[in-house]
Amino acid sequence: MKTNILRIGSALAAMLVAAPALAQDLTFWSWRQEDRAAYEQFIETFEAANPGITVNFETFEATNYNTILSTALAGGTGPDVMMVRAYGGLENVASAGYLEPLSTETIPALADFSEASLAAESMRSDGTIYAVPFASQTQLVIYNKALFDQHGISEPESWEELEAASQKLLDAGVIPFANGTATAWQNETVTFGLGSSLMGKDFYDELMAGTADFTDERFTGALAEIADLAAKYFPDGFIGLDYPSAQQLFGSGMAGMFVGGSYEIATFKNMNPDIEVGVFAAPGQTAEDEKLVGLYFDGGYAANAAGANKEAALTFLNYLASQEFGQAFADTLSNISTVPGVTFQDPLLAEVNELNQSSIPYLMLAHFRYGEPSGSVLIQGEMQKLFAGETTPEAIGEALTTGLAAWYEPFQN
Amino acid sequence: MSAGASTYGDRRGILGALGRDGLLQVILVANTVIMLAPIVIMVFSAFKTTPQIFQSPFGIPDFTQVANFAKIWSETNFLRYLLNSFFVTGTSMVLILTLGTMAAYAIGRYQFTGASFILMFFLAGLTLPLKLAIIPLFMLMRDLSILNNQLSLIFVYTAMGLPTTVFIMTGFIRTLPSELEDAARMDGASEARIMWSIMLPLVRPAMVIAGIQNVVPIWNDFFFPLVFIQNDSLKTLPQGLTTFMGEYTTDWGVLFAGLTLSAAPIIVIYILLSKQFIAGMTSGAVK
Amino acid sequence: MREGPPSSSARAKRIFMPQLRMTGRGLWITVLIVPPLAFVALFIVYPIISAFAYAFFDWQGLRRGAFVGLENFHTVLFVEPYRSWTLNAFKNNVLVFFALMVLQNGLGFVLAYALWRELPGARFHRIAVFLPVVLSTIIVAYLFKLFLHPLFGVVNISLRGLGLGELAQPWLGQSNTALWSLIVAQAWHMVGFPTLVFLAGMQRIPSEMLDAVRMETQSEWVKITKIVWPLVAPSATIVFTLLFVGAFNWFELPYIMAGLDGSPFGSTDVLGLYFYRTAFGNVSAGQQNFGLGSALAVLIFIFIALVATVITVRLRAREIQL
Repeated sequence: MKTNILRIGSALAAMLVAAPALAQDLTFWSWRQEDRAAYEQFIETFEAANPGITVNFETFEATNYNTILSTALAGGTGPDVMMVRAYGGLENVASAGYLEPLSTETIPALADFSEASLAAESMRSDGTIYAVPFASQTQLVIYNKALFDQHGISEPESWEELEAASQKLLDAGVIPFANGTATAWQNETVTFGLGSSLMGKDFYDELMAGTADFTDERFTGALAEIADLAAKYFPDGFIGLDYPSAQQLFGSGMAGMFVGGSYEIATFKNMNPDIEVGVFAAPGQTAEDEKLVGLYFDGGYAANAAGANKEAALTFLNYLASQEFGQAFADTLSNISTVPGVTFQDPLLAEVNELNQSSIPYLMLAHFRYGEPSGSVLIQGEMQKLFAGETTPEAIGEALTTGLAAWYEPFQN
Repeated sequence: MSAGASTYGDRRGILGALGRDGLLQVILVANTVIMLAPIVIMVFSAFKTTPQIFQSPFGIPDFTQVANFAKIWSETNFLRYLLNSFFVTGTSMVLILTLGTMAAYAIGRYQFTGASFILMFFLAGLTLPLKLAIIPLFMLMRDLSILNNQLSLIFVYTAMGLPTTVFIMTGFIRTLPSELEDAARMDGASEARIMWSIMLPLVRPAMVIAGIQNVVPIWNDFFFPLVFIQNDSLKTLPQGLTTFMGEYTTDWGVLFAGLTLSAAPIIVIYILLSKQFIAGMTSGAVK
Repeated sequence: MREGPPSSSARAKRIFMPQLRMTGRGLWITVLIVPPLAFVALFIVYPIISAFAYAFFDWQGLRRGAFVGLENFHTVLFVEPYRSWTLNAFKNNVLVFFALMVLQNGLGFVLAYALWRELPGARFHRIAVFLPVVLSTIIVAYLFKLFLHPLFGVVNISLRGLGLGELAQPWLGQSNTALWSLIVAQAWHMVGFPTLVFLAGMQRIPSEMLDAVRMETQSEWVKITKIVWPLVAPSATIVFTLLFVGAFNWFELPYIMAGLDGSPFGSTDVLGLYFYRTAFGNVSAGQQNFGLGSALAVLIFIFIALVATVITVRLRAREIQL
């Protein structure tokens, strides 16, 4: 009995002594369940360099992450440091005042980040930065190198060449494109993965300036070409093919190309370690047209405005913004880190990074997800209609422009 | 008058009955084939490789080829999901039957003011589609700090199961004779003692009905875990199945094996106890 | 002798008893009744009442903002794009209800009638028809999704195998087949339920009544319409009401088979999906809005309650009439 009391007493004493150290415990939330091992390694590196701070990494399911995060933040049980989404997804959380505003004073490294990446993690209203951006993703065409070599196909320079390449594969009994559009969001990926060069930089600039809208011929013309290509070279019944099945077709080597995000590369490698893939930007109408990929930023690392260990959280954010981390991130996770000055050892990653140099933003995500109906909802449904032959590109341009006018001011006259 | 006519009528009746019964039998057989075919294809496919499934979806497989099941066993969280489902369903059932019997016993066995109002209160919960109250439930669980915790599921399931249980049990308890109870009371037994050792043993049949009526929807529920549970290690079987189906899309053999494994526990129990299952699950609708 | 008198005397005794030991027994009843009541009050009644209250407020994420009166209701009913989303989902629900009325309840009645004859194998058929009912909707949804796969699904493979390749369809990708595919899957899943409820109703029909009608007519049709149908009407009332509530609460099956967006282009969108999407958001497109979500929930709730009451009252009235 007495010994028990003594034991409890000494345990309590130990806890009191340890309390200052415990105060430096950070919780770090993420939706990247599959990256757990890598993050634990990053954290180890950080902890070694910053004795006294420990970081606990917790992951949640991606689809409900935002709901879980805002619930926790609203209830005062949020993490100290967290991954947040970009664009509209960020504003959702940041506008409620849950996130600590960041600046080059608190995170000096932010000064060198690209403007576009910082914009993705800022409030549009006042430009305040709320998170350190971590990665960009690129919408492009991924192809099976072995199949291309086998059939003597090289990366197409013009739309005509893309069609010729597809025809060659089809004639050889290979499915040219693996994509299916039964999963709604895949329609958006297909549209901008294939269509960015067709739409062109000028269209994007004019759209942003408010001098063009979606009824523009450059946009509707691109949609027509995409629908035409899909009808000929996507799998039979692709409108009923869901996203996982499409990945399966490409991953198993049954199809030559896959329109998708750069994040797919890792998926395909996991599915089929033997597959050798290449990437190219879907070409424009002619070989002279600039080849553009659709570029967007995935998300960023933010600190809890109401966190108990803000100082330690900022120290950790500074590490996450460092080149050391960016390099490790790119090397281990095969992702395009947004940290400036990172070099990409993986040739494929280096190539994606190269392609990113001529890009337009992944349109609907970057600019049209701030109100209802979002541009994404509209384009996803409208493209499904187009693929099913139930609408025309012109009608889509009309539907997008009038639909978005509900909240997007430049379209309101 | 009509010996002849009646024989004629009978004969026509017999012939008619034969024709009619033949037609009905055909309908039944066709329907049974339709009911069982998907399940049989599912089980067969679980023992095939993916190419075999694509080439001969109806072929009878080699049942010794259990590679798909081995993969599920060793590579996925399937067992975890299964145990979670057992835990959540089991705990909820214990709570439902305990609390349901308590309420039904009070309402059915004692006269007190408000008894009928309380019964009405329980019955009101019978038809309310609780899914539509998911937003306040979500906030409630947050305030109780049991989001991402299996207690949230157990509490909701218990509340959802109580109305039917109270309804079934009250009806049954009211029909029990009261001699034993009265005799025990004369001997000075406490009310708790009377309930526990005299009445409870008599209500077991109703408990089975109420139990089955609730156990199937709870075991199969997907909606509440979808909203309340995020952590993979806490997921129940139907929810875990969605994670699993997303991970193994390329391997149809494993997918069918996963579906087969998920369906197996309840199918086996159903086949063993089909009579009780049918009675239990339709008891709310059959009066 | 055993049945009659004791129960009445028991009832008499019970009325007197409470006065003798009021305090002890009152406490005991409280102990019995309060915990179950608390569960129902906290996890059913309170959330449902709150759902009504939530709908009158503006919400920023999970924070309740200002009181906005009926604005959320106005938005989901009359303001684009919500107006057409609401209308589209509602129309689909109506179609689902009527289609299932035929495919599930209609077929269920026929099957029940067949089972009622106690033909050889009836026991086996009865077990078979109810087997899918015990499966999780998630299993059923995935099973049918795999069967309807455009390239590798057993449906299209079979059609091609039978030389009917042109009938092979991307079932879940076309607006004219997607919702029907879901309806068929649902009917397969649940047809056993109305079947056995109807069967139970038929089995309670007194055989003298059947004999009596058999004396008068040989017509099977007359027998069904004059005797069987009216006498199983109470079962029908319940089955119709449950189907109605179920059809307007439909969520799991479309969620797995068609996705949260009601793909393709809203042709499988139903109120359940739409409500969930509005309330909790959607990674690839929408934002979360508890205010509009609650307004939708309240509208669906009121609609279900009203129609279910009307169905019950009208059908009940008919039962008595006959």
